[in-house]
Amino acid sequence: MTAAQIFAIIIFVGMFIMIVLDKIERHYVTLGSGILTLIVVFGICMRSGKAVTDTLALKGFFTKDFWYQVTESESKGINWATIIFIAGMMVMVEGMAKAGFFRWLCMKIAFLVKCKTIPIFITFMVMAAVLSMFIDSITVIMFLAAVTVELAQLLKFNPVPMILSEIFCANLGGSATMCGDPPNIIVGTSLGFSFFDFLTNTGLIAGISLIVSVVFLYFVFRKELATEGGAKVDMSKFPKPSEAITNKKDFIISSIIFACAVILLITHATTHLTVASIGLFIAAITLITSGKHALELLKKVDYKTLVFFIGLFIVVSGLEETGILKLIANFIGDISGGDVRLMIAIILWVSAIASAFVDNIPFAATMVPIIQSLSETSGVPISTLAWSLAIGTDIGGSATPIGASANVVGTSVAAKNGHPIGWGRYCKKIAPATVIVLAISTVYLFVRYL
Amino acid sequence: MSQIIISVGREFGSGGRVIAEELAKRFNIPIYDRHLITEIAEKMGMTAEEVEKYDEAPKLKILSRRVNGYSNSIEDNVAEMQFNILEEKAKKGESFVVVGRCAETKLKKYPALISLFILGDTDKKVERVMKLYELNEEEARHFMYKKDKKRKHYHNYHCTGSWGDSRLYDLSINSSRLGIDKTVDMLETYIKARAAAMGK
Repeated sequence: MTAAQIFAIIIFVGMFIMIVLDKIERHYVTLGSGILTLIVVFGICMRSGKAVTDTLALKGFFTKDFWYQVTESESKGINWATIIFIAGMMVMVEGMAKAGFFRWLCMKIAFLVKCKTIPIFITFMVMAAVLSMFIDSITVIMFLAAVTVELAQLLKFNPVPMILSEIFCANLGGSATMCGDPPNIIVGTSLGFSFFDFLTNTGLIAGISLIVSVVFLYFVFRKELATEGGAKVDMSKFPKPSEAITNKKDFIISSIIFACAVILLITHATTHLTVASIGLFIAAITLITSGKHALELLKKVDYKTLVFFIGLFIVVSGLEETGILKLIANFIGDISGGDVRLMIAIILWVSAIASAFVDNIPFAATMVPIIQSLSETSGVPISTLAWSLAIGTDIGGSATPIGASANVVGTSVAAKNGHPIGWGRYCKKIAPATVIVLAISTVYLFVRYL
Repeated sequence: MSQIIISVGREFGSGGRVIAEELAKRFNIPIYDRHLITEIAEKMGMTAEEVEKYDEAPKLKILSRRVNGYSNSIEDNVAEMQFNILEEKAKKGESFVVVGRCAETKLKKYPALISLFILGDTDKKVERVMKLYELNEEEARHFMYKKDKKRKHYHNYHCTGSWGDSRLYDLSINSSRLGIDKTVDMLETYIKARAAAMGK
């Protein structure tokens, strides 16, 4: 093993430990680790200027392919397309939240089902899944969980089962599209898949799983969801959906921008606009239409997450450039003995188990070059491995309260409103649901791709 | 009297809580210690005993995660609720004494805050703990060590400064030197002087 490889591993493992310890904010951890990778691994050990420029990937900005791409291609180093897209969506989501869009949508749906507990339970699960296909699950759960708590107080039901189900479905919905969950954006932009590729592959798995999950969660939670004092609901006491709208003009504009984003994403394989272009366009149009509030929206963007991504991509490049990821790929190839079935199962279940306990974003970023290499050496189509990885990381994160960001936000909102959810309470119903979906996914992958 | 907020950080066995109670009596203001637990228990729909498990307790890091200021750990959420309750009371202009809860840092922006830290000689603290909890010396030392370790972790997780670091407090005092009663007298004089200075 070379010195560069040893240092790349030390930096990577150190970064993971620091993220778990949560002593220093995670964006400082990844950025610091990224700088160390550039200096120690690429500079001192490898003395390779090319490794540094490949990793920083700044040239990409000036190529036509970065913005307009006829044939999808793979990318290396810092995945700027992911970063620009996420930043763009952050700006759009801030604009929507400011206008009251999410609260309005939640209240509107509750009113449409006449504020009855079980119909709210089912529609909110579906809404969590559908919204998470396009918007980050943190935002979706932040609003859904808050409205759920509010409705629970008015309707006198226990909000915990509903919040847990919403979290689960948000993660499930996120797995359906390229922009639903950060691991999918990384997989998609790194390996050159389109929104439609995801929708017709992981999307189908998510669709089937959603139906099964809604039925499963309904049966396991139906007793806990029973309202006190029967089902009589006096809707006149409820806050009206229209009250959620802070500014009608902003509300209409943000709804139109959201619709544009959805259309652009669905059609991006046809229009050849890359996700980076879409992210930039959406952010620009949101800022232009928000006028004097543009600065306020820009300030609300979660820059820490963007910095986290940049650092992370550099550290993973350290492992890639030094050949560590190739070694891991060969190891997976060896233990599976070339059996594709075993390879899919290993990627799906190992990703799922890992994502249940550690942040699935660094995990996915690390796994992408591994499956690339595995595909080259074993001849298994990269798409088959990519869908296994995406589903594993997206769904596995649901199993525990710390597996995905939505879980943390949902359980935190519940706790702050008087409904603490410990590990036992969370895992008792949601871990089995996760295993069921993973089993369905395994069977689906075997049947469809083998 | 204008608003005064007295925060009392303390080493286990130093008599910090008793000193805080006595100060509350002398200034005729409420004290928030375990009372906060009852308030939170009511809000959370839990029993006070259940909440107490998570009170001033550091979380198990391996089982918790924080995302954009949200945390899945019940310990974190209980702590945050306590900070919020204290903040609300301070904002309303209420005068009170608060024991622990990182109050010296969390309420630092309020000019009415007078932050104290009570420490003590180990032998004296052990003696006190042995008497209060009917323990032998070894048990008392172990109990004291565990309690202080827990408080330190809790404090240092939620604040940037170190627990017990004199730079964090207006006044740090060793209660073993003068004994509890005389320490209270001395602190009363100090607080009165501070209150008078605030009123100017």
